[in-house]
Amino acid sequence: MALSGMRGLSVFISDVRNCQNKEQERLRVDKELGNIRTRFKNEKGLTPYEKKKYVWKMLYIYMLGYDVDFGHMEAVSLISAPKYPEKQVGYIVTSCLLNENHDFLRLAINTVRNDIIGRNETFQCLALTLVGNIGGREFAESLAPDVQKLLLSSSCRPLVRKKAALCLLRLFRKNPDVVNVDGWSDQMAQLLDERDLGVLTSSMSLLVALVSNNHDTYWSCLPKCVKILERLARNQDIPQEYTYYGIPSPWLQVKTMRALQYFPTVEDPNTRRSLFEVLQRILMGTDVVKNVNKNNASHAVLFEALALVMHLDAEKEMMSQCVALLGKFIAVREPNIRYLGLENMTRMLMVTDVQDIIKRHQAQIITSLKDPDISIRRRALDLLYGMCDVSNAKDIVEELLQYLSSADFAMREELSLKIAILSEKFAPDLSWYVDVILQLIDKAGDFVSDDIWFRVVQFVTNNEDLQPYAALKAREYLDKPAVHETMVKVSAYILGEYSHLLARRPGCNPKEIFSVMHEKLPSVSTPTVSILLSSYAKILMHTQPPDPELQSQIWAIFNKYGSCIDVELQQRAVEYIELSRKGAALMDILAEMPKFPERQSALIKKAENSEADTAEQSAMKLRAQQQNSNALVVTDQHPANGPSTVSQLSLVKVPAMSNVDGESPDPAVTEANGTLTVVDPPFEDLLGPMAIEGPPSATAEAEHIQASGLAGVPNAGEALAIAPVEDQMNTVQPIGNIAERFHALCLKDSGVLYEDPYIQIGIKAEWRAPHGRLVLFLGNKNTSPLVSVQALILPPAHLKLELSLVPETIPPRAQVQCPLEVVNLRPSRDVAVLDFSYKFSSHAVNVKLRLPALLNKFLQPIQVSGEEFFPQWRSLSGPPLKLQEVVRGVRPMPLLEMANLFNSYRLMVCPGLDPNPNNLVASTTFYSESTRAMLCLLRVETDPADRTQLRMTVASGDPTLTFELKEFIKEQLVSIPLVARPPAPVPPQPQPTIPPSPSATSDPGALLAGLL
Amino acid sequence: MIKAVIVMNDQGKPRLVKFYSFQAVEKQHELIRSIYGVLCSRANNVSNFIKVDSLFGPDARLVYKTFATLYFIFVFDSSENELAMLDLMQVFVETLDKCFHNVCELDIIFNFNKVHSILDEIILGGQVLETNSSEVAKAAEEISKMEKHANSVTLVPSISGWSNR
Repeated sequence: MALSGMRGLSVFISDVRNCQNKEQERLRVDKELGNIRTRFKNEKGLTPYEKKKYVWKMLYIYMLGYDVDFGHMEAVSLISAPKYPEKQVGYIVTSCLLNENHDFLRLAINTVRNDIIGRNETFQCLALTLVGNIGGREFAESLAPDVQKLLLSSSCRPLVRKKAALCLLRLFRKNPDVVNVDGWSDQMAQLLDERDLGVLTSSMSLLVALVSNNHDTYWSCLPKCVKILERLARNQDIPQEYTYYGIPSPWLQVKTMRALQYFPTVEDPNTRRSLFEVLQRILMGTDVVKNVNKNNASHAVLFEALALVMHLDAEKEMMSQCVALLGKFIAVREPNIRYLGLENMTRMLMVTDVQDIIKRHQAQIITSLKDPDISIRRRALDLLYGMCDVSNAKDIVEELLQYLSSADFAMREELSLKIAILSEKFAPDLSWYVDVILQLIDKAGDFVSDDIWFRVVQFVTNNEDLQPYAALKAREYLDKPAVHETMVKVSAYILGEYSHLLARRPGCNPKEIFSVMHEKLPSVSTPTVSILLSSYAKILMHTQPPDPELQSQIWAIFNKYGSCIDVELQQRAVEYIELSRKGAALMDILAEMPKFPERQSALIKKAENSEADTAEQSAMKLRAQQQNSNALVVTDQHPANGPSTVSQLSLVKVPAMSNVDGESPDPAVTEANGTLTVVDPPFEDLLGPMAIEGPPSATAEAEHIQASGLAGVPNAGEALAIAPVEDQMNTVQPIGNIAERFHALCLKDSGVLYEDPYIQIGIKAEWRAPHGRLVLFLGNKNTSPLVSVQALILPPAHLKLELSLVPETIPPRAQVQCPLEVVNLRPSRDVAVLDFSYKFSSHAVNVKLRLPALLNKFLQPIQVSGEEFFPQWRSLSGPPLKLQEVVRGVRPMPLLEMANLFNSYRLMVCPGLDPNPNNLVASTTFYSESTRAMLCLLRVETDPADRTQLRMTVASGDPTLTFELKEFIKEQLVSIPLVARPPAPVPPQPQPTIPPSPSATSDPGALLAGLL
Repeated sequence: MIKAVIVMNDQGKPRLVKFYSFQAVEKQHELIRSIYGVLCSRANNVSNFIKVDSLFGPDARLVYKTFATLYFIFVFDSSENELAMLDLMQVFVETLDKCFHNVCELDIIFNFNKVHSILDEIILGGQVLETNSSEVAKAAEEISKMEKHANSVTLVPSISGWSNR
């Protein structure tokens, strides 16, 4: 065994090893550092050997965790030593000690460059390693071209070239703007032909970096990657020493499949077929064997193949094969495979269609929650969280709740959060949700954040049906011997508000409720006491006729707290006692809390945010994003810049308090009392995160509406033609531009038709000849139901429309699908309108929306050749079958764009038919019951000098069709900038909201809100 | 990309530390301590994988393996395949075994400089450089030959006595 060959170094290392404790070690290290420092000061007396020895010592000390803040210069200077051992130390130690921005590196650049372009291979290797490990900007600027040359050089040994490849990779990753890789696709393709496996592996890593940055340029590498994969996995054509436990270089296989995942798809059918053959072979040919290392290697390849199959969106059959494999893996003995099985199943969830197959393994996944390995338990939790939906939420959440009692302490917080989120997102009914959260608080109260119980209160307040149930549950939990403080909070709140609904039940009369709550008071903290006090006041108010005994009990408590040292409690107690002496007026002042305005759950928002923040854009993530963007209806979308909901609870209405003080209800005191709300921490908390972002004043509201009105101006004309019919009540603003959404849907078959803060209407359509099938997706975005839902179709004469039954109520967070059958009777460019209305709390919304069942949807593009076109064109000789018109005021656009526009309207442009390059010829088939399939021909002659006008000729075998089609096309060419339509009568007026009138102060809800 | 390669013993003493993205020395040791805290609480016969997002940023993973008294640890991001990292670790260990003939902790302690140059032949800038352990051993051999050659010129006494420890 060769030793370091430096006696001094070995002695030092054994000294450090012999130290009995950390303190001794520090002394020894300090002594050595002092020694090195003095030796370095007097550099002249230092031999290269000594210098080398000291620099190694520095690295050793650095590794032990001591800061070495000197001697960097000496380390760097060794790089320029003439002999290998010194140079090597210099390079290695520099790359460990210095970061890329260190000034000393600049001093070394020249030497490094000389070593790279020099003839000495070992020096080249050292220099490339340093540059690759550090990857600084100045290195990139001055060395990248030299490194590129080395990589491509045919005279270099593979040893050097593979290092050059990775060095270049690092420089590129760190400074993509500096390293010029334009025109590298050819070189890259060439490198993939390399026979040396070392160089090929490094080159593949380089390709991954380049492709992940810009896949378009490297298409030519794709078939080569497939070839390499075939060579390794199928032909096993590889030198013996590159097989690892019988597996042909698993690293190269893995990297190659990684590279392939950065190409969006494999288009060439032959390449695709070869690739799938190899993948199939890998998927089927991997068995679990005894040798751990062989197992690891073969499964490394297998898991990468799975990822690639997922990425390629293989046929469903192959996908289910993958899920079956994963299902097998999550049950094997080998923990690594179990771990990766679960992790990959989680990734697989992103692929549509396989969720159902994954669900079959639910039982096994739940078992994995009890795996001895915490890493595996975590993966199982992630997977269960990911696969949860409405259908299995009950099972999964209940399992998780059970697991909570036995879960590791470290996992409980995450687990609680996940339970809360899932139960909110997928609750089949709200009483179940309340059950879950109360159980959660009961089992893991310490981990239940305030957000979670605020949300329960919000749901209960907004759903009357839920209130007696929640109150009963709260009552039951309070009976338990040891109750978590959070449970006391939520129960006290709910019982204060709703316990009167339970009055007839045994054990639930006001006295009993009060005493069960009051039992908890001695053991809770101040914020909870303040909630209890409020609840007492509420109980008192609900007890009619008043119970003198209860009253005196509660008053005694208020009296006691009336001199409490805590200002908050004192104030509460004093106020409540004053209030409760007001007799009947108490009823008004302490009435039930009004409903909360709908808002997105703070929890879910948090969860979404944390999912959104990612550092590196992996292939899988890109994919996930692509899929999200296709999502038709996202039920839980927060209005990005939608108007804030109008609340009845704006802070302006605080004058409520003025009654308490016995002053006149003068709005002027508002401000003074406004501060009251601020010094009210527990309830401010309560209202803070879950309640109202109500507008601070009416002017702000008006401004807001004005602003949104202004934003809508460019499209005002058109928008209003179909604008929501706003009645006085209706202050609900649509999200996004309705007209734009409609236009988008004219060109594609799925998307969002309408959205406001409460509902989203998505649409998905299929068209076949004169028939169409649209499905309307009505998604309720709220946690309370939408009622009086009505959808009427106002069909134009040429369409037969049948809308299936639309339910009158859309349950919270549910999505309803309503199919709509369309038959096109005859050509017309009229538009069908959907008259849609619903009610939500005080808002009645009615909108009229154009349906994208336009003329162009009944077109079928058809390619015609010159032989077919010209006889037809000639035979349709003139009006009314062939119409010509000069169209002016066309939106100027390049010819290519116009061709694209026609194609997107299903008018197929036939290039080459018209000899004049400024003209376009297009053809299509129109379908309707009256015309059957009818060929339509179109010719557009443009004037390159004036793009705003053109001459259009349309021909078909039906005069109406010719006319309608001509008009339709004209509208598309002219109306895109939306100038053609006359402005509608009422532009969206800023609707001033009713300023808070003095009468508002008598609104009990407002009064209480002010109070709290 | 591989973010770090760490070798430490079962007492948590670092034996080899190589970060491919620069970390200040205090940070390095904080990370090593946290990793040790996680590793020493893990039972045998569990998986070799741990997610270390909290230590190394989003998506960071860690594989580790125990060899006698030593933990070998690779930290990397989602662009690497976990099992392939485990394979690479095996290559590293097998190469050390070849170079030191039955490697033990002491070899690594007293030859940490050589271990560095072997690692440099396997991983460069956080990427897999060479996976063929005989190729790596060959390169390491060349390096020691060159060192010896130079050493004999500078007439530094060899200390064969240490090799028996």
